[in-house]
Amino acid sequence: MNDLRIINIKKQFKQTERRGDPAFSLQPIQLTIREGEFFSLLGPSGCGKTTLLKLVAGLLQADSGEIWVGDTNLTKVPSESRKFAMVFQQSLLFPHMSVEDNVAFGLKMQKVGKKQRLDKARAMLERVGLAGYGSRLPDELSGGQQQRVALARALVANPRVLLMDEPFSALDPILREEMRELLGRIQKEFRVTVLFVTHDREEAFYLSDRIGIMNEGELLQVGNARDLYERPASTTAATFLGLKNIIEGTVSDGRFSSIGGNFEFAVNDRFQAGQGFLVLRPEAVELMPNASLPPKGSLHVSGVIQQLRFKHGFYLCKVQVGDEQLECVFSSRQRENATAGQKVDLMVDLKDVWIVEK
Amino acid sequence: MERRSNLIRLFFFSIVFLVIVFPFLPLLLSSVSFGWQWPNVLPESYSFRAWEYVLAGSSGTWPAVGASLLIAGIVTAVNILLAVPAANALSRNKFTGKWLAEAIIFAPIVIPPFVAVMGIHLTFLRLGLTETIFGVVLAHLSPTLPYMVRAVMISYNTLSVDWEDQARMLGAGPFSRFFHVVLPHLMPGIAAGASLSILISLSQYLITFLIGSGQVVTLPILLFPFISGGDPAIASAYSLLFAGMAILTLLVMDVSLKNYYKNKKASTVKGQQRGVEM
Repeated sequence: MNDLRIINIKKQFKQTERRGDPAFSLQPIQLTIREGEFFSLLGPSGCGKTTLLKLVAGLLQADSGEIWVGDTNLTKVPSESRKFAMVFQQSLLFPHMSVEDNVAFGLKMQKVGKKQRLDKARAMLERVGLAGYGSRLPDELSGGQQQRVALARALVANPRVLLMDEPFSALDPILREEMRELLGRIQKEFRVTVLFVTHDREEAFYLSDRIGIMNEGELLQVGNARDLYERPASTTAATFLGLKNIIEGTVSDGRFSSIGGNFEFAVNDRFQAGQGFLVLRPEAVELMPNASLPPKGSLHVSGVIQQLRFKHGFYLCKVQVGDEQLECVFSSRQRENATAGQKVDLMVDLKDVWIVEK
Repeated sequence: MERRSNLIRLFFFSIVFLVIVFPFLPLLLSSVSFGWQWPNVLPESYSFRAWEYVLAGSSGTWPAVGASLLIAGIVTAVNILLAVPAANALSRNKFTGKWLAEAIIFAPIVIPPFVAVMGIHLTFLRLGLTETIFGVVLAHLSPTLPYMVRAVMISYNTLSVDWEDQARMLGAGPFSRFFHVVLPHLMPGIAAGASLSILISLSQYLITFLIGSGQVVTLPILLFPFISGGDPAIASAYSLLFAGMAILTLLVMDVSLKNYYKNKKASTVKGQQRGVEM
């Protein structure tokens, strides 16, 4: 097994010259990425995800910790000999070389013969949908095409691990989706291990087998997309995943009650007693039909609709419940009877509630 | 509209003509004149005496041209070798005393060469480097290196480290990175610096005179006595020869640089047609 293992990697940056700017440090990080896995590091900008990526690449020197692939310790191996490949935010195609020379560059460095490497480069270009573009110069291509070439160039030499640093963030949304699909497909075809850095959670959710959420130099939580979304380990993770309904309260005697007292329900013993935060996914909140009793095993609240907004295919609704504002998602049919200012009853299946310890 | 732009073009052309070409005309006339005296607008009689003298083997012109070009060539080559790592260090790193290093490198631009050369001369006398081409080359480095470093530094400033990181991630070692990624990017800067370095070295009189002590004869050394009161006709001929040599050298450099880029382009254009046919 050629897993990529990151063992207690740590990096402390010196205080920058600007005063009052705290020195950034990457807390010791321990992570194993399985062979052929697509792993994303997700986090806001400045959270250290690119730093971690560069440490894995060897472009930055770690203070302590080790990088292994399979049984090989790569900590002291220079970047150029690690047989990793990297795609940056910019395509960084060498401007004085033709597209196929760019793609063949890695093979040239491995002393592969000219004919062979150009054949491989052309085949690779075909795989990314750029057959026949090989003899152009990079600046004759569009941004999306350039990034495809960068991807082809990274993959052509069969890297052990493909590192990607927000590769699509400079592209426009439609192109980004196209590239996402292409990358997903190609990653499966080549079964290459990918470590992908992004701040775009949709991108991470679409592509990844597992995701690691990072914040302020710390790896907060690792899991697959659904686990993370439905069971965030902290409010920071929940917020970053776009979960806005976070309500403070306490768990005691098997019941959760919010500070305002509007949310109160029985919890199972999964959740420990003490202070905590209730996290409600917007999709889990349902409109209750008029004059009906809440079914057993559900949380029931009532509130006033503040705002209804149509998003692609569904309605985003803000409901004021006491001091709290809940964000919910309704289908067009559900919303038919609802208007802003109206009083509504809402329910959430208790299987869908999640409580984060404080 | 078109007429107007034509007028503007004509205007600029005349200025260029007046400033650059016109001064050469009296020089040309003077070089073929025989006793051209005030207040005559044109020489009274013509002769190729001056050109015969200059181009004849006995005047030592050709060895002097050779020496000038050899010195300028070596100086420029050494400058490139020195300036590239220096520019790399200066534009990429922060270190204490960086301002001092920069000040020392760029000092020859500000300090009159005469001041420095007096000291250099003394040192070279002790070291036995005077009267040698090697010594002259060394002395020529100080006024030329700053321009070279400056030009290459500007090229380095526009080269983000990401490019080298990218090449690294594709398996390129330090040498390959420099040769395939850094050098092509620096090329325009190096070309600019090299032209300056060649021109400055070619036109050096004082330094060559002092360090070479009359034994290293470059074209300016031959030219100078004729300008300072010798024979104006011969001085004019030498001046023209000097200008021709400098222009020719720059042209050769320019053409070879264009060829370098053209070859790159040609190979890709050829490939493109192939690509279309497929």
